[in-house]
Amino acid sequence: MGELRLMKGNEVIAEAAIRCGCDGYFGYPITPQSEVMETLMIRRPWDETGMVVLQAESEVASINMLYGGASTGKKVMTSSSSPGISLMAEGLSYLAGAELPCLVVNVQRAGPGLGTIQPSQADYFQAVKGCGHGDYKLIVLAPASVQEMNDFVDLGFELAFKYKNPAMILTDGVIGQMMEKVELADFKPRWTKEEIQANCGDWACTGKKDRKRHVSTSLELDSELMEQNNLRFQAKYKEIEENEVRYEMIDCEDADYIIVAFGSAARICQKSMQIAREQGIKVGMLRPITLFPFPTKTIEELAGKVKGFISVEMSAGQMVEDVKLAVNGKVPVEYFGRYGGVVPTPGEIVDAMKQKLIGG
Amino acid sequence: MLVMEDQLVYTPKDFKSSNEVRWCPGCGDHAIMAAIQKAMAGLGKKHEDYAVISGIGCSSRFPYYMSTYGFHTIHGRAAAIASGVKCANPELSVWQISGDGDALAIGGNHFIHTIRRNIDLNLILFNNKIYGLTKGQYSPTTDRGFVTKTSPFGTIEDPFIPGQLVLGSRGTFFARAIDNNVKLCQEVCEEAAKHEGTSVVEVLQNCVIFNEGVHAEISNPKTRADNQLHLVHGKPMLFGKENEKGIVWEHGHLKVVELGKDGYTIDDIMIHDAHEPSRAVHMALINMSLPEFPVAMGVIRAVKTDVYDEMMVKQIENVQAESKIKNMDDLLNSGDTWVVE
Ligand code: SF4
Repeated sequence: MGELRLMKGNEVIAEAAIRCGCDGYFGYPITPQSEVMETLMIRRPWDETGMVVLQAESEVASINMLYGGASTGKKVMTSSSSPGISLMAEGLSYLAGAELPCLVVNVQRAGPGLGTIQPSQADYFQAVKGCGHGDYKLIVLAPASVQEMNDFVDLGFELAFKYKNPAMILTDGVIGQMMEKVELADFKPRWTKEEIQANCGDWACTGKKDRKRHVSTSLELDSELMEQNNLRFQAKYKEIEENEVRYEMIDCEDADYIIVAFGSAARICQKSMQIAREQGIKVGMLRPITLFPFPTKTIEELAGKVKGFISVEMSAGQMVEDVKLAVNGKVPVEYFGRYGGVVPTPGEIVDAMKQKLIGG
Repeated sequence: MLVMEDQLVYTPKDFKSSNEVRWCPGCGDHAIMAAIQKAMAGLGKKHEDYAVISGIGCSSRFPYYMSTYGFHTIHGRAAAIASGVKCANPELSVWQISGDGDALAIGGNHFIHTIRRNIDLNLILFNNKIYGLTKGQYSPTTDRGFVTKTSPFGTIEDPFIPGQLVLGSRGTFFARAIDNNVKLCQEVCEEAAKHEGTSVVEVLQNCVIFNEGVHAEISNPKTRADNQLHLVHGKPMLFGKENEKGIVWEHGHLKVVELGKDGYTIDDIMIHDAHEPSRAVHMALINMSLPEFPVAMGVIRAVKTDVYDEMMVKQIENVQAESKIKNMDDLLNSGDTWVVE
């Protein structure tokens, strides 16, 4: 059993980064996630593992520092909150286009614009539909506990390197600020130069001799070749969709109705399920853990067995579109959410379910 | 507001909004705002002729507290947005309020380019050498070695000296003031408003919560006569309690001397020339720092040259005047058209 601690979600991101052998963190302060960088600075990982921690002059600088670091085959990451992630959109598109791995943590707050510092899930579209320009995808992980904040840092890096693609942890102010018991991972040493050459030797800038020239770029002016690049990306996204879908199903076996919710909304919905079941309503929950790839097939299968779905989100209704696509008209799909920084109560969710889905 | 002989006479109160001021008690921002309200009241413009633009940060709450037009905008982008406002409506008196993080970290790019263009706006830079709103991380003006939440063992970066950036960006106006001298803040803001072009005023501001006393050595009433040099155009550079000390220029450098000592007299003391186009002396004045030198306050540089928004309006007028095309018919008859047969 690993070391047990009581920690804040944001602090765990920092601790997990050090422990999983991250090489560099580049960030800029923004509420509600400044603790990630502050924890890293206090932990002094540069003494312990040699990990670099740098406060950049802006989020634009942070994401481009990631581009540089990733090009050398290093495990690099940043964290920010919604307005800061918007600033990184350009960089993320270029990183995806250049097929470079990195990890980005979005501790969401409510928008649009400066919005408020209160939690939100309204960056779902931004995260799963691309974020920046062009046909690309981020691998998106949605933790629902402090434990998963810990676990998904390592997992995020693993997937990012496996598919040479940016990965994102999409969380929010609730999970970031919440304290829970967490079992920390054991320390993994940072990759040595030899390991990087072995793992990323054909593309990373490592000083390796006698290999094919590789330029880390997203540019290809020849449309035919650019289409080939895009076809390669699409094949990769398909492979991710086939192999990397992760979700949790709770009490779905006998369920008449399914709540679909991720992250902190899923935590609240667990309580709603309990209330509903006490009232004799058979409710189950499907919690997508990966938002891209989305558990489309599982929802499709469930659609053949249940009477309806409700997507519960801290947004004006974004994931509900993907649920509808998966259900494909077989049974009703409803949405309930609070947003602008408001967190729904378990009772409200049950009421919405009864009113919109069950009737009465 | 008083009406005297058909003229509006404003009091600083006319520039206060009804919004509750939510800066921490004791924050330097309160005094700076009072100074700016006093300055605006004396400039003879109606409050609806002002636009106050801010980015993000503690000081960026400023527009809420002013009874003028104003926008609370995007982190780092205030200079770009203020530039847009001024170009679109050159009749407005445009004031940008930014902190050191907003203007010099994320907004550094817009800051230098606005100054380089010399757009006629007043950029008030609140320098508390810390990020206050996000609760105490180091900023681009934090001194090397300083301990903050993101530099628990001291920063390993050298700070920007804002005046150096202004001069390096071909700035035409730079002044410095400090929050505990409201009169000085007011005076330099008035001068900034009168100057045509981008006027940058750096106000040394105390963040009582996250950087208490950062400017204490400069602001302390007991020592400030020795630690501040108040520059006035055309006046000798004297300082000290009895004005017994002064600045001379020797061998291409500034030097502090005492009158009557080592043969120095008032005639040796430099006369401040804020209008001198050359940047050398202004840069040397900006660079003066404790303990060797007093810190220069007041208007350090105010040089008249072409202003972007005026040139823009003129260029449009000239091109329109010279163009043969005055309307749609002219355009259709301009020769670049043909009949589809
Ligand atoms: S945190 Fe500092 S700068 Fe911000 S309002 Fe409080 S005292 Fe002023």
